Amino acid sequence: MRWTYWMWGVLAVALALLPLWPGAVDSYAFSFLFFVFVYAILAQAWNLIAGFGGQISLGSHAFFGLGAYATAILWSGNYLWGSLYDSHPRIYYFDPVTMALSGLVAAVAAALVGLPLLSKLRGDYFALGTLGFGEIVKVLFINGGTFTGGAFGIVAPASTFETLLPHYWTGLGLTVAVAVGMRLLMRSRYGLALIAVRDDEMAASANGIDTLKVKIAAFAGSAFISGVAGSLFTYYLFHVGPDSVFDLNWMLLPLMMTVVGGTGTVMGPIVGAFIMYAVFDAARILVPDYHPVVSGVAIILAMLFLPKGLTRLSFGLPGLMRRG
Amino acid sequence: MANRLLEVTDLEVAYGDVRALWGVSIHVDAGTVVAIVGANGAGKTTMLRAISGLVPVQGGTVTLGGAPLAGLAPEAIARLGIAHVPEGRGLFRQMTVLENLELGAFQPKARRNMRQALEKAYALFPRLKERAGQKAGSLSGGEQQMLAIARATMSDPKLLILDEPSIGLSPLVVQQMFSLIETLHKQGVTILLVEQNIHQALKIADYGFVLKTGEIAMQGTGAELIADPEIQKAYMGVLEL
Amino acid sequence: MFDLPPPAIFLQLSLNGALGGAMYGVAAVGLSLIFGTMRLIFLAQGAMIILAAYFVRALFQSFGIDPFLSLVIVVPVGLAAGWLIYQGLFRKAAAEEDRNISLLIAVGLMFLAENLMTVVWGGNTAGVVTSYTASGIHILGIRTSFTRTMGFLIALAGTGLVMLFLRKTLVGKAVRAASEDMTAASLMGISPHRVNAIAFAIGIALAGAAGVAVATTFPFNPFAGFIFSLKALVALALGGIGSVAGALAGGIILGLIEAYVQFFVGGSWTNAVAYGVFLAVLMFKPEGLFGRPYKKA
Repeated sequence: MRWTYWMWGVLAVALALLPLWPGAVDSYAFSFLFFVFVYAILAQAWNLIAGFGGQISLGSHAFFGLGAYATAILWSGNYLWGSLYDSHPRIYYFDPVTMALSGLVAAVAAALVGLPLLSKLRGDYFALGTLGFGEIVKVLFINGGTFTGGAFGIVAPASTFETLLPHYWTGLGLTVAVAVGMRLLMRSRYGLALIAVRDDEMAASANGIDTLKVKIAAFAGSAFISGVAGSLFTYYLFHVGPDSVFDLNWMLLPLMMTVVGGTGTVMGPIVGAFIMYAVFDAARILVPDYHPVVSGVAIILAMLFLPKGLTRLSFGLPGLMRRG
Repeated sequence: MANRLLEVTDLEVAYGDVRALWGVSIHVDAGTVVAIVGANGAGKTTMLRAISGLVPVQGGTVTLGGAPLAGLAPEAIARLGIAHVPEGRGLFRQMTVLENLELGAFQPKARRNMRQALEKAYALFPRLKERAGQKAGSLSGGEQQMLAIARATMSDPKLLILDEPSIGLSPLVVQQMFSLIETLHKQGVTILLVEQNIHQALKIADYGFVLKTGEIAMQGTGAELIADPEIQKAYMGVLEL
Repeated sequence: MFDLPPPAIFLQLSLNGALGGAMYGVAAVGLSLIFGTMRLIFLAQGAMIILAAYFVRALFQSFGIDPFLSLVIVVPVGLAAGWLIYQGLFRKAAAEEDRNISLLIAVGLMFLAENLMTVVWGGNTAGVVTSYTASGIHILGIRTSFTRTMGFLIALAGTGLVMLFLRKTLVGKAVRAASEDMTAASLMGISPHRVNAIAFAIGIALAGAAGVAVATTFPFNPFAGFIFSLKALVALALGGIGSVAGALAGGIILGLIEAYVQFFVGGSWTNAVAYGVFLAVLMFKPEGLFGRPYKKA
C-alpha cells in the first residue's frame, strides 16, 4: 500500500508547484483551492474530536472564531512586535507566532470549557453543551466593547493583498501538516488511547487510560487546529466580525465534509472538503439564485446515499484511508 | 418431530471480527421447557438475541413453526409469536406496571384480548395488581422480573424466551421464579430458558443444551444432563461443594 | 444596582415573558418527541415553524383565511408532512448507528427550507397584519396583546393534546416506551419506524401550530428559525429532556428569563444568559429543573 503515500505526496507537490503555471494564480481554481484548504483544516479538526474521539462537538465554530479574533486583535493592537512593526508593517502576514498563538488561545479556551463539559456531559448532552458554548462565545464577543469591536468586529490594519499566493501556500502547507500530523498521531500511543476511549470508554478506563485527560487533549487539539484555520482566514478577510467568524456554517460545513469524506479516517476530511466545496461552488456559479437550495439538497442526498463516507467506498485507495 | 416449534440450524453470529456462535443447532418442541446452559460468555445471550432478531445472523436458519425468521426485524418476529424477556429485563421503568403490561399486548392480535390477558396475568401475579399504578422502576428486583415475565405472557406467545430470569435475585425469590416457570409450563407455554443457575434450570427442563465457547457441547433431557458426571464436574461442582 | 420596578411593571414583564416563552415551549415539545424516539437533535424544527408561518401568511393573503382559523389546515398538513419527511428522509438514516447522519440530514433540510423560503418569498422580514393584530385584552388587570394570548392558548392546547395522546392511547404509550428503550419496545412488536414516524408527524404538526402563533405575533424572515431551534433546545433542557409538560414549562421559564434579563440587564445579553442557564442545567441538573434524578437501567 505504500504507493498511496506516494500518490498523496505527488499531489501535494503538484499543488505546491501549481502557481508556477502561467496564469494559475489569477484563475478561479486558485481561490477555490484556498477555500478547500481552509475547510479541509477545519474538517480535520472536527474529525479529531468527533471522528477519532467519538465526542460530537457542535461548537467548533467558536474555536475558529476565537483564532480569527486572536489574530485580528494581536495585529490591530500590535501586541507582539512593538517598534519592529513600524519598520516592517507586514510582519503580521502569516506570522507563525501570531498563528500559533491564535491556535493556542482556542486550545486554552477548549481545555477550560472541556474540563467541565467532558467530565459532566456524555453523548448528545456534550453536543448540546458545545452548541450552547458556541452561542455564548459569540454573545461575549458582541458585548466585548472596544477589545472585540462589539457587533462590528475588528478591521485589521492592512486590508488588501495583491496576490493570493501566500494564502495558497500557507493553506496548502497547513493542510499537509495537519494531515501528516493526524496520521502520526493516530499511529501513536495517544491516538490508540483516543480510539480506545471512543470505542469503549469503560474498557479504556479499566486499562489504565485517563479517559478525561485523553478527551480534553483531543478537544484542545481540535480547537488548536480550528484556531489556526481562523487565523489563516483573518489574513484573507481582514475584517473579523461576530456574525462572520462565529457563523454556525464554520461548524456545520466541516462536519458535513467530514461525514461525506469518511468520519474517523485521515484523508476523509480532505476528500470531503474538496468534493462538497466543489458542489457548493458549482451551485453558486451555475444557479446563483438557488445555490443554498442546491447545497441543502446535496447534503441530504450525500447522507442518504453515502452515509459511510466516500473514503469507505472500495476504490482501492486503502492505506491512508483506513479507519484508525 | 411432530411438534417441533423452534428449529435453529447451524446458526452463526459474529460481532465484527469476533465470532460468538459457530454453527449452533437447537430445537424446541411445543409445550416443553428447554434450557440452554453454559458458562459466562459461552454465547447463550447472543443466541437468544439472534433468534429474536436483535443481532444480525451470518449463517444458518431459524424457523418458528416452519416459517423462516432470518432477516426479519425484531418487531416482526415478536408479532409471529416470540416473546423475549431480555437480559436486564427491558422494562419501561418510567411507565407504570399497568402500562408495561398493556404494551405486552401491543400487537394487533393480542390487543383484542387485552382484558382477559390482564386478568390472567393478575391471577398469576397478584402482587402486580396491587402495584398496577406504580412505576416499574420502583419495584423490587423480584417484582420487576415477575413484571417482565407477566408482560411477555400478555401476547399469549407461541414461544417464551427467558434470558437469565434468576440473575440478581435472592435465593428465596429464585425459588419462586422457578416454580412460576413450572406453572407457566403446566399452562402449556413453550419456554426457552437461558440460565447460569444450571442445576435449577435442568431440573425443570424437559430438554437441555450445553453451550461452550459458541458451540453445543452436549445435549439431552434435563435429567440426563444433571446426571452426567462431566457436567457435574464442570458446572455444578463448585455449587454442590 | 438597579431600582426595583413597581409591581405592575414586574407583572407585565412576567406575563409577556410567559406568553412569549410558550412558543419556545411548543417547539420544544416537538423536539422532545423526536429526540425521544430517534435520539436526533432536529435542528430544522425552527425552520419548519417559520415555513409554517409563511404558509399561514400565504393562506391569509391569497385566500383571506384567518390565521387562527388556518390551524385546521396547518395542523393536518403538518402531520402529513412530518410523516412524509420521516419516511423520505430519515427512515434510512434512523437504522444507521452513526447518528451524525440524521443530524446532517436535519441540517440539510434546514438549509433547504430556509433558502426555498428566500427564493419563494424573498429574504425580507414579513408579518401577518390582521384587524386584531394591535388589539389588546386585559388579564388580571394587565393589558396584553390578544395575539400573544392566543399563541399561549395554542401552545397550551397543543401540549395538552400531545400529553393526552401519550398517556391515554396505546400507540401513545408505545411512543413513550420506545423513547425509554427502543430495543425492549421492538420486542413488544412495536415498530421503530412507526413510532419514529409518529413522533415526526406530531413534531411537525406542533411546528405548524407554533407557526400560526409566530405569524400572528412576530415579524419573521426565512432565517429566523435557527435561533428558534436553539431556544427550543434550551427549553427542552430546562424542562428535562423527554418530558412533554416539562418542555412547555421550560419554554415559559426561558421566556421569563429573557424578559427579565432584557429589562434589568440589557437586550444584548439575553442570549448569553439563556445559554449560560442551558449549560448550567445540562451540567448540574441534566434531568431538568423538575425531574428527579434517576438511575438509567
